[in-house]
Amino acid sequence: MIEVRELSKLYGDRKAVDQISFEVKRGEILGFLGQNGAGKTTTMKILTGFMAASSGTAKVAGFDVFEDQFEVKRRIGYLPEVPPVYEELLVSEYLRFVAELRGIPRAERQRKIDRVVDKCQLGEVKNRLIRNLSKGYRQRIGLGQALIHEPEVLILDEPTVGLDPRQVAEVRNLIKSMKTDHTVIFSTHILSEVAAICDRIIVIDRGKIVAQESLSALGADGATARTELVVKTASDQLLQSLKSIRGVKNVRLYSNGANRIVIESEPDDAIVAEMAKVAVSSGLTRISPVQLALEEYYLGLISGKRTEI
Amino acid sequence: MSAMVAIIKKEIRTHFLSPLAYVMIGLFLLIMGVIFAKFAAIYMSMKQQSMMGGGQGVNLDKIATYLYQNMAFVMCFLTPFVTMKLFAEERRQHTLELLFTAPVRGIEIVLGKFIASLMLMSFMIAISFIYVGFMVAWGTPELPLIFTTYLGLFFALSCYLSIGCLISATTESQAIAAIFTFIILLLLYLLQSIAQGMTVNWGPIEWGPTLTYISPLGHFNSFTEGLLQIKDLVYFVTFTGFMLFLTHRVVDSHRWR
Repeated sequence: MIEVRELSKLYGDRKAVDQISFEVKRGEILGFLGQNGAGKTTTMKILTGFMAASSGTAKVAGFDVFEDQFEVKRRIGYLPEVPPVYEELLVSEYLRFVAELRGIPRAERQRKIDRVVDKCQLGEVKNRLIRNLSKGYRQRIGLGQALIHEPEVLILDEPTVGLDPRQVAEVRNLIKSMKTDHTVIFSTHILSEVAAICDRIIVIDRGKIVAQESLSALGADGATARTELVVKTASDQLLQSLKSIRGVKNVRLYSNGANRIVIESEPDDAIVAEMAKVAVSSGLTRISPVQLALEEYYLGLISGKRTEI
Repeated sequence: MSAMVAIIKKEIRTHFLSPLAYVMIGLFLLIMGVIFAKFAAIYMSMKQQSMMGGGQGVNLDKIATYLYQNMAFVMCFLTPFVTMKLFAEERRQHTLELLFTAPVRGIEIVLGKFIASLMLMSFMIAISFIYVGFMVAWGTPELPLIFTTYLGLFFALSCYLSIGCLISATTESQAIAAIFTFIILLLLYLLQSIAQGMTVNWGPIEWGPTLTYISPLGHFNSFTEGLLQIKDLVYFVTFTGFMLFLTHRVVDSHRWR
């Protein structure tokens, strides 16, 4: 559905996006992960045709985002970082304007507006001025705007920022519910969000893709347990013997200050007991389960201090 | 095309949702009312004089010309009221992203906004038809002359508005857009007075006629004399067209930054 090839964007001398390539299949939800300023927004803006790339190509549904802008724009719903709403309009007026702007025929307009109002739960604020609405509502109006023309591709830039926990859950459910007939790309810097919604993630750091994996491969799907060990001396021998325990999938050593070893294994308490037994001789000071596998993975990528065995 | 209509509708709605349009129209009527009252007084006294056999006779058309020249000047500082928020406000509210990720041509956006503003200001000028009514009641003004004058006003307005559009497109601040638009329009207005004072010529160019030609006011004046000249039409159309083209370029430039 989406095909990006060696896309780069320069702001002056600064490379905001540097030679990135990726693909998204129909019906997939892709999480774009990265720190602020990593190049997520820029990539999204290029995909929507709002910006031109410095080099490289991007295709949406087979149409080039630069050459066939109109075809691409018809197929994309985009929610920018700041919801693009007109504060002086009523919610219903705003949605009507977007429908007209998108060239939705008069006969279908009302039906599509009602559908979006229903889907984004805007019914109770339909006749209120956007100026007077909270960030949460604006975000949902923005989402409604992106959905009104029933696009095949949805591009959402940090859709849950600034929402309260209940609203965050609602927006996430909304995104999940779109999976069946939409392809979704969304960016975030909240890791738990990715685990909650995505099929696949792409981690961007300083304009480059540093990782591209499906969630099950990351073990964020519950099929893999992670255990963190902190030891005084992390010899190769220790790492090897840890690795040889039955059920252990992967052993990683992070040596920034303390010797931290993160072990991926099948979720089984017997394996953890075995690990402890092996590590005691190397001066085991702590053993604990790692809750957020993703976080570990992510920080490892960003700080770039990982030694894999 | 339907997108442009959507933009025109939305713009007009926005104009009337903010108090600015009402303030502007109120101000226009106040200032023009004062000027008209003054001219009416002059006309009456002249009429009285001529009825007693003295004075230079009544010339209603002369007075109408003065009235409309003043109106053209008043437009200079009313235009920024309309144009200042056109693009500056879109930038502030981040709504350009909405417009430019919809399947809409940039020029449709610019034209939509321009046409909506032109409609608003034309509506405002149309209110001044009451003065024509008074003139018809008092004497026999030359109606074709008044018609060409209104045509001239319309063209001068489109020219002013296109400048306002361009300046609004370059900034995020409404205040800056308004001030700069006013300064530029004032300079263009003054250009003619400057031109009249030009007695010295530098280089091969005759500065007097050249500056007069550049100023919209010079072209407007021939309309007030009842002259419909191709050169004036060409001037207004190309001027407005060029400004809108530049606006389009500026608005579209976000893609390349």
